[in-house]
Amino acid sequence: MIVGQQKPIEEIKKMVKPYKKLLILGCGTCVKTCFAGGEDETAALASALRMTFKIDGQSVEISQQTVERQCENEFIQEAAKKIGDNEAVLSMACGAGVQAIARRFPKSPVYPALNTTFLGVQESQGVFTEECLGCGNCGLGVFGAICPVTRCSKKLLNGPCGGSQKGKCEVNPETECAWQLIIDRLTALGQLNNLRTYIPPKNWKTSHSGGPRKLVREDHIL
Amino acid sequence: MTTTPISKLHETFLKGEFAVTGECGPPRGADMNVITKKGELLRGCVDAVNVTDNQTAIVRMSSIAASKHLLDMGLEPVMQMVCRDRNRIAIQSDILGAYSLGIRNILCLSGDHQSFGSQPDALNVFDIDSMNLIRTVRDMRDTGKDMSGFELKEAPKMFIGAAANPFADPFEYRVLRLGKKIDAGVDFIQTQCIFNMERFKEWVRLAKEEGLTERVYIMGGVTPIKTLGMATYMKNKVAGMDVPDTIIKRLSGVPKEKQGEEGMKICLETIEELKSMKGVHGVHIMAIEAEEKVKEIVEGSGLRN
Amino acid sequence: MGKTFKAKITLFHCINAFTERQSLSSDHVDVKVVKMPCSGMVSEVFLLKAFEAGADAVTILVCPEGACRYMEGNIRARKRMEKTQSVLDEIGVKGKRLTMHHVNATDPSAVERIVSGILGDLEELGPNPAAL
Repeated sequence: MIVGQQKPIEEIKKMVKPYKKLLILGCGTCVKTCFAGGEDETAALASALRMTFKIDGQSVEISQQTVERQCENEFIQEAAKKIGDNEAVLSMACGAGVQAIARRFPKSPVYPALNTTFLGVQESQGVFTEECLGCGNCGLGVFGAICPVTRCSKKLLNGPCGGSQKGKCEVNPETECAWQLIIDRLTALGQLNNLRTYIPPKNWKTSHSGGPRKLVREDHIL
Repeated sequence: MTTTPISKLHETFLKGEFAVTGECGPPRGADMNVITKKGELLRGCVDAVNVTDNQTAIVRMSSIAASKHLLDMGLEPVMQMVCRDRNRIAIQSDILGAYSLGIRNILCLSGDHQSFGSQPDALNVFDIDSMNLIRTVRDMRDTGKDMSGFELKEAPKMFIGAAANPFADPFEYRVLRLGKKIDAGVDFIQTQCIFNMERFKEWVRLAKEEGLTERVYIMGGVTPIKTLGMATYMKNKVAGMDVPDTIIKRLSGVPKEKQGEEGMKICLETIEELKSMKGVHGVHIMAIEAEEKVKEIVEGSGLRN
Repeated sequence: MGKTFKAKITLFHCINAFTERQSLSSDHVDVKVVKMPCSGMVSEVFLLKAFEAGADAVTILVCPEGACRYMEGNIRARKRMEKTQSVLDEIGVKGKRLTMHHVNATDPSAVERIVSGILGDLEELGPNPAAL
C-alpha cells in the first residue's frame, strides 16, 4: 500500500488559512489502511480544525467526505458536489490522490493534509516498512524476494557494505540490513550462489530517473 | 593480473616488496598547503598516499585536486572515489580527468552514507555500486571503452583498488564478496583497520582456500590508537569496526599518558604479524589526523630505515 | 483562576470498570456518560468530538492494567488518549483536559473522587476555549 502520515496541524492551518469554506476529503484505500486518511482520520482532523479555528477566532465552515479512492475518476465523481460547494479541498490522500483531484477540478485549490511516505507493508499492527521503490524493473527474483534497491541504504546490488553489523544497517540501528536478510533467505532456500554472479549497473531508465512515467494499456482503451 | 607496472604502487607489488601506503584527508577548505604539509610528513615513508573522497560525507577539497597536489610534490596518490556523490556520467568523466592529470591509482568505494556527515539533508546518488565502479574502471583500462561501449581516445589505465571489511557481518559472505570484487577486476585490496587479529587471520585463511590471495594484493589496514577514549569510540560508535575487549583491556591497563605508547605498540605488533602472513602483501596505515605518526610506525616496524 | 463556570465533563467508561447507579451531575458540574463494552473502543475522533461538543474535560475510566476482559483494550485506550492529548496540545485545547483512570467496579465512590479531582484541575485550566 501507499503509506502516509498526517502533517502537523500547524502546517495544515497555514495552507488553508485563506478559506472560509473547506472540504476535508478522505480516501478509503491505502491511507485508510495505514490510519492516516480514512473516514475516522478525516472526521478527527475536521473536528480538530474546527476547534482550533474557533480558538483563533476565525470562522471557517468545515465539511468532510471520504471517497473509496481519490486516484480514480469514478470515485472522485462522488465528491464533485461537495467540492463545488467549497472554496478549497484539503485532501487526505497520497500525493497521487491530491493531484487527481486537482486535475479533475481545475478551479478548486487542493492542499495535501498528508506526507506520502512510501510504498510499504504493515509489518505488524501500527508498524509500516518501506519495501518498494517502484523502479520499474523488478529484480526481486535474484535477491530472494528482498529488495536491495529499496531496503539497502546505499542501493547496493552486489552485496553488503562494510557497515553491516549484527544484522543491522549502519545508517540506523533500528533498520535491518537488507543484505543480511537476503543472505539469510538465500541460504535457507539453497540459492546463495545467486550472489556469486556479478550484477551489472542497474538500468534506471524505467525508474523516475527516466522522467515521469506513463503506462498505457491499449487493451483497456476504447 | 597484468605484469607491466601501471603505477609505482603496482611496481612495488610486482617486485614482491611489502607495500606501505598512508592516508591523507583533504582539508575542509581550499588551502593546498594542508595537503603539502601532510605530504611532507609522509614523504619517504610510504609507496603511495591514499586521498579520501569527502570521507564521512563531510565536504572537503576534492580527492582529484588533492591527488594532483601530491603528484606535483613527487608523491604517488591513490585517489579514492565513492559512488555516493556522482552518477555514472560524472564518475567516468572524473576518471578520465584524473588520468589526464597523471593519477594512476584509484580506490573504488561505495562511500559513507550522508546521514553521518555534516549535510544529512543531501540527496545521495548510488547510481552504481562499488562493484560496478571496479568493473567500469577495469573495462576502461582493458577494453578501452566507456560504459556505453564507446571507444575512448586514450583510455585511462588505472591500478584498481577496493576496500574489504573482514570484520563486518555476515562474516561468511565477506570472502565471497572479496571474490566478487576480484572477478569484477580489482588489483589490490585495503582492509578495514585490524584490531581483531584472530578474525582477520580467519578471513585470510578462507580467502586463501578459495585461491583469492593469488589473484589480488591484500593490504592490511592499521591505525595507531591514541587514547582509550578513541578505542571505545571506535568499538561502540564506528560502524564496521571491531575493537576486541583485549585491546580495551590493554589500554586501560596503562596510565592515561602512556595509552598512546601502548596504542603504538599494538599497531607495531599488528604490522609484525602482517609482514609474515602469507597472502598479505602490504600495510595501509590510517593515522587519522596524525600523519606525523606514520614515520614513527614505518621506522618502528622496520618497514623503512 | 477561580472556577466561575459550570463545568462539563464527558466520561467514557468500560462497562466492566464502572456502572452509573446515580447521576454524577450536580449544581456545579454536568457529567455526560458514554458507556462502551470495552475502553479499547475509544478513538481519537470520539474524544475530539466530545471536546468539540463542549466538554471542558474528558476522562476515560478503564479496568486496571492486566484486568481487561479483552486482554489489551485498556492499553489501546491509553495509547489513543496519548495521541489525542498531543492533538489537543497542538490545537490549543490543552492535552491535560483529557485523562484516564483505572477503576474497579467494586469501588463506585472512586469515580466521585475522580470527578472532584477533575473539577479541581479545571479551576486551573478554565473552560474549554473551543466550546460551542
